[in-house]
Amino acid sequence: MFEFLFKGLIRDKSRSLLPVIVVSLGVSLSVFFVGYIEGMMGDMVDQNARFGTGHMKVMTREYVKNIAQKPLDLSILETGEVIQDLEKRYPEADWVKRFNFGGILDVPDENGQTKTQGIAGGMAFDMTEGNSDLKRLNIANNIVEGRMPNGPFEILLGQGLAKRMNVKIGDQITYFGSTMDGSMSFQNFTYVGAVQFGLSVMDDKTFLIDIKDAEQILDMEDAVQEIYGYLPNDIYDDQAIEEIKNSYNQSFANDDDEYAPQMLALRDQNGLSTMLDMVNTMSSAFTFFFIIAMSIVLWNTGLLGGLRRYTEFGIRIAIGESKRDIYKSLLLESVIVGAIGSVFGTILGLLLTLYLQEVGIDMSETLGNSNVLFSNVIRAKVVPTQFWIGFFPGVMATFLGALLSGRGIFKRQTSELFNELGV
Amino acid sequence: MNTNNIIEIQNVTKRFPVGETEFTALSDINLKIKKGEFTGLIGPSGSGKTTLLNLIGALDIPSEGEILISGKNVAVKSDAESALLRNEHIGFIFQSYNLLPVYSIFENVEFPLLLQKKSKAERKHAVMQALDWVGLSDIANKKPSQISGGQAQRVAIARSIVKKPDIVLADEPTANLDSTNAYKIMDILKKLNEELGITFMFSSHDSKVIEYLRRVITLEDGKVKNDETK
Repeated sequence: MFEFLFKGLIRDKSRSLLPVIVVSLGVSLSVFFVGYIEGMMGDMVDQNARFGTGHMKVMTREYVKNIAQKPLDLSILETGEVIQDLEKRYPEADWVKRFNFGGILDVPDENGQTKTQGIAGGMAFDMTEGNSDLKRLNIANNIVEGRMPNGPFEILLGQGLAKRMNVKIGDQITYFGSTMDGSMSFQNFTYVGAVQFGLSVMDDKTFLIDIKDAEQILDMEDAVQEIYGYLPNDIYDDQAIEEIKNSYNQSFANDDDEYAPQMLALRDQNGLSTMLDMVNTMSSAFTFFFIIAMSIVLWNTGLLGGLRRYTEFGIRIAIGESKRDIYKSLLLESVIVGAIGSVFGTILGLLLTLYLQEVGIDMSETLGNSNVLFSNVIRAKVVPTQFWIGFFPGVMATFLGALLSGRGIFKRQTSELFNELGV
Repeated sequence: MNTNNIIEIQNVTKRFPVGETEFTALSDINLKIKKGEFTGLIGPSGSGKTTLLNLIGALDIPSEGEILISGKNVAVKSDAESALLRNEHIGFIFQSYNLLPVYSIFENVEFPLLLQKKSKAERKHAVMQALDWVGLSDIANKKPSQISGGQAQRVAIARSIVKKPDIVLADEPTANLDSTNAYKIMDILKKLNEELGITFMFSSHDSKVIEYLRRVITLEDGKVKNDETK
C-alpha cells in the first residue's frame, strides 16, 4: 500500500514536485536568513575585535576612565611583566601589544615645503614576520599598492588617506605628535604602501607603523596603551571572555593603585554591549518571525495540497479505505514532502550562505561615511543551527497544513464529502 | 430477515439540516433487494435516489430506520467497519468514472485489492481477470488519460468488480456516454450480473439503463412511488 501511495506521490508532480519546490524555497530562505544574520553579527564582532577592542583588553584604570581619548600618559608601564602574568594565568589566550595614537602627517614637496598635510590616527602592532597579530590583521593580503614595512620607520597608509595625501611609494612623510610625557615628537617615515582595510572609517584616516617604531617616537619603551587578548583561533566566546575578565579584575580588587591593570571585554567597549544585545534580540526576533512567516506559507501549501485532493479521498473512501487511513497517508505524504523539501532547501540555503560567506556583498559605497567598525563587505556565515532550523518550517508547517486540511475528511459526513466533490 | 435479501431497508428516513430547519430527503422507505437482482432507482432530481444509494453504500447513516446489508445494520457501524464493508462487499461505479489519473489502468483496478492486502500474484490474477471481463486486458499499462470515456467506464466497472463484491452501486453510469458505449456498458453489467451473481443497483434517468432493469423502483419526493418487477 505504501509503495502504491509513494508511486502516486512521485508521479503526481503537483503533489510532489511543486510542494517540494515551494518547501525547498521556503526552507532555503529561512536557512539563508539565519546564516546572513549570523554572518553580519559575526562580522561586526570580528572587525571590532581585530581592530578596536580585542576579545578583551588590558589597560590601566585611569586609562579606562579616559579610554575615548586614548591618553598615552596613562599607559601601562613594565608591560613585559604584565604580559608575562597574563600569559601565565591565561595561556590559552594570545596577548599582544597595540598602540593607537593621533598626530599630523605632512608630505613635503621637493623643496621641503608642505605639499599635503592631514590629521590621522596611527596604529602600531608587531610586524615581525610570523607574529600572530600580523596574521590576525591580515594587512599583507590587503595591500593595494607597495609592500609591508620591513625596515625601521616605514609607514603604510589607508588607501583613502594615501589618495588624499597624494603620495607615491618612496615619498617621505613626517609625523608630528607628542610623546608619552607630552614632549613634541617628529619623525620621518618612508611611505611603502597603501592598505585597504575594508572599513571606511579606517581606510580614510589610519596609518600603520611597526610597534618598535611607535615605542621610539612615543618614547614608550616597555610601556603600552593597550594589551589585546584573543581566544584560541580568534573565536569569540562571550562567556569565556567574561570569566577571564572577572577573574583578572578580581585579582586586583584590593589594589588601590590607579594605574593597576583593568580588563575590559569586547562588549564593554565602543557601546557594543547594548548594540550586541540589541542586534541579538532583533535578529532572534526577525529570525523567529521569518520562520513563522515561512511556516504560514508552507502550512498553506500543505493545506491547499490536502484540499485539492478531496475528490481522490472520496474515491478512496468509496473503494473501501477508512477515513483514518486516508488521513494517516495524507500526513505521511506531508512528512515525506516536507523532509525532502527541507533537505533540498537546507542544502540550497547552505550553498547560498557559503557563497555569501566567500564572496560577500560590497557595501563600501553605502557605508562610505560610517564611523562604525563595520566591514565594507557583508558576509553570511555557515553555522550549525542552519543544519536543522529549516526543518521547522519545512516539515512541521507542511505537516500542520496537512493536519488541518485533513480534518475536513472527518468533519464532513462521508456522503457530503463524497457528493460535494463530484464523485 | 430473509437470507435471500441482500439489502433490507426498513422504515428509513433521512433528513438533512438546512439552516435552522430540516429537509427530508427520504421518508419511511421500505425495500427488500434479493441477491442477484438487477434493480434501478429512477425519479426526478431531488427525489432521493443518490441519498438512498449513499445509505446503502454505508456512506451515510439514516436519521431513522435500519439498513441491513447481508443481515447487518450498517447504521451502527464505525467508520472503519463501514470502510471494511465497502471494501469487501460493495463496489461503486460513478457517472464520471473517477479513475485515479496518475495510476495505470492495471493499478486503478488493483487498488481495492491492495486494501484487502492480497498477495501480488493474487492481485495480478484478479486484475487481469476483471479487465478480461470488460475486454480491456490489452490496455492494462495505459493511463486513464490515454483511453476513451467508454473504456474509462469499463475500467471503473473492472475496479468495482475485481474484489468480487456482493453488491455494485452504479450512480448514473451511462450519463457521460454515447448510445453505443452506453449499451456496451449495460451489456457488460448484465453479463456480470448473470455470470457472477452480483447484485446491481442503479440510479439513473437514462432510458437505455431502464431498458435493461429487471426491477424499477420509482422515487418521488423521498418516497417510493412505484416498485415494478418486469
